[in-house]
Amino acid sequence: MSEEKGISMATAKKESLPAHGQAAAIEIHGLVVKYGSKRAVDGLTFRVPAGTIFGFLGPNGSGKTTTIKTLLGFRPPDGGSAQVLGYDVVSQSLQVRARVGYVSETNSLYDFLTIPQLCAFCRSLSPEWNQQVVDRYIGLFGLPPREKVGRLSKGMKSQLALSLALGGNPDLLILDEPTAGLDPLARHEFLNTLISEVAAEGKTIFFSSHMLSEVEVVADWVAIIRKGKLVLCDELDHLKQTQKVVKLTYAELLPVSEIEMLRSLPEVKSLAQEGRSVRLVAQGNVDTLTQTIQTRPYELRDIETVDLNLEDLFLEYMKERTDDR
Amino acid sequence: MPNWLDVNPRSGVPIYVQLVEQIKHALEVGILQPGDQLPTMRQLASELTIAPNTIVKAYDELANLGLIESRQGVGTIVVANLDGTLRKQQQEALFQRLQVLVRDASLLGISAEALNERFIDAIAHFYQQGGLQL
Repeated sequence: MSEEKGISMATAKKESLPAHGQAAAIEIHGLVVKYGSKRAVDGLTFRVPAGTIFGFLGPNGSGKTTTIKTLLGFRPPDGGSAQVLGYDVVSQSLQVRARVGYVSETNSLYDFLTIPQLCAFCRSLSPEWNQQVVDRYIGLFGLPPREKVGRLSKGMKSQLALSLALGGNPDLLILDEPTAGLDPLARHEFLNTLISEVAAEGKTIFFSSHMLSEVEVVADWVAIIRKGKLVLCDELDHLKQTQKVVKLTYAELLPVSEIEMLRSLPEVKSLAQEGRSVRLVAQGNVDTLTQTIQTRPYELRDIETVDLNLEDLFLEYMKERTDDR
Repeated sequence: MPNWLDVNPRSGVPIYVQLVEQIKHALEVGILQPGDQLPTMRQLASELTIAPNTIVKAYDELANLGLIESRQGVGTIVVANLDGTLRKQQQEALFQRLQVLVRDASLLGISAEALNERFIDAIAHFYQQGGLQL
């Protein structure tokens, strides 16, 4: 425990410390969660490096919320294991909840309470509650301090939920679709506060979303899941640097043997051919790949390397999975 | 935030690469001068709404290039203009080309003495013409 704390404090103090790599805020090994006979989470394994803003992506019903509920100890796993801040999510779920701030998808706050009443309620549940911090965020968001929760707008409720989640001085924030239903301005304000107030302190932020554009802006790591299985988990910059589409136009139709040769190159993930044009999805050292292709004895009319943004990447991966079946 | 920074997170180019390129460009055109202070990681992350780690990565890369320096209590300072650093890199590259040339000459059976003679001739010829005439 003291080790985890030490790491997050060091990150907060020293500006130039790259937080990726070393410690894990979340570690998931072969996690399985079933609803009846259906596997909502099906052998999931990945880790969330401490100090990152980690975007957890997947289509609706892919198991994101179930994974989050398991991490918080709300749902026992049917197989595998998970640690949050070094604590086991099953046997140490109280410790997990004491160190983690959580904002749920629906932010189910009690509508009949006023903000101060809700704060008092949360304080009674959290051993490290800091009302000053909560008041500061409430002020920052300009929330009406005496209002009943039920009368707040959706955006205000999200802001209140975040303020409350930060009241326990968490080392890790877990947010389930935190900006769903917010208008663009409210979303921007919410994300901006996350960055400037939470991430800049060196706290880890793990948030699920299906808004790729939003994840692309704020996240430095991403994981994509589909049908309860991991599709990819990587640093976003690294993904963008290593995943490209290479478009080739040949002078003549390539023989099948050459197509097979291209397909067998280690950098080629998938290949699609239409007449004289060949489209490769490449992974790894794309320069090496294009050099190799240019030394082949088939005349090229054109070779073009295209960068992929997160949406392109997401769709490429989803396509590939569909092809698999 | 400096108004010359214009990051597009939705591009396929990693954000930290965009930051590095734009700060280098600001140095090239003189918007940034040695001694100037860069925004703090926190300011920039908050202004651009991007992960602080991304800024750290960009600043680390610029520091590795010898262009900026983080100083305790002062912040991040521009230490070199791109001219100096670029020139150094170009000179380095030139000396490497020289090594390749020597190797190629040896492969072609040109003796060290003959190559040396040609080299001295080339230098003499260049400077007899008056060197670079700009």
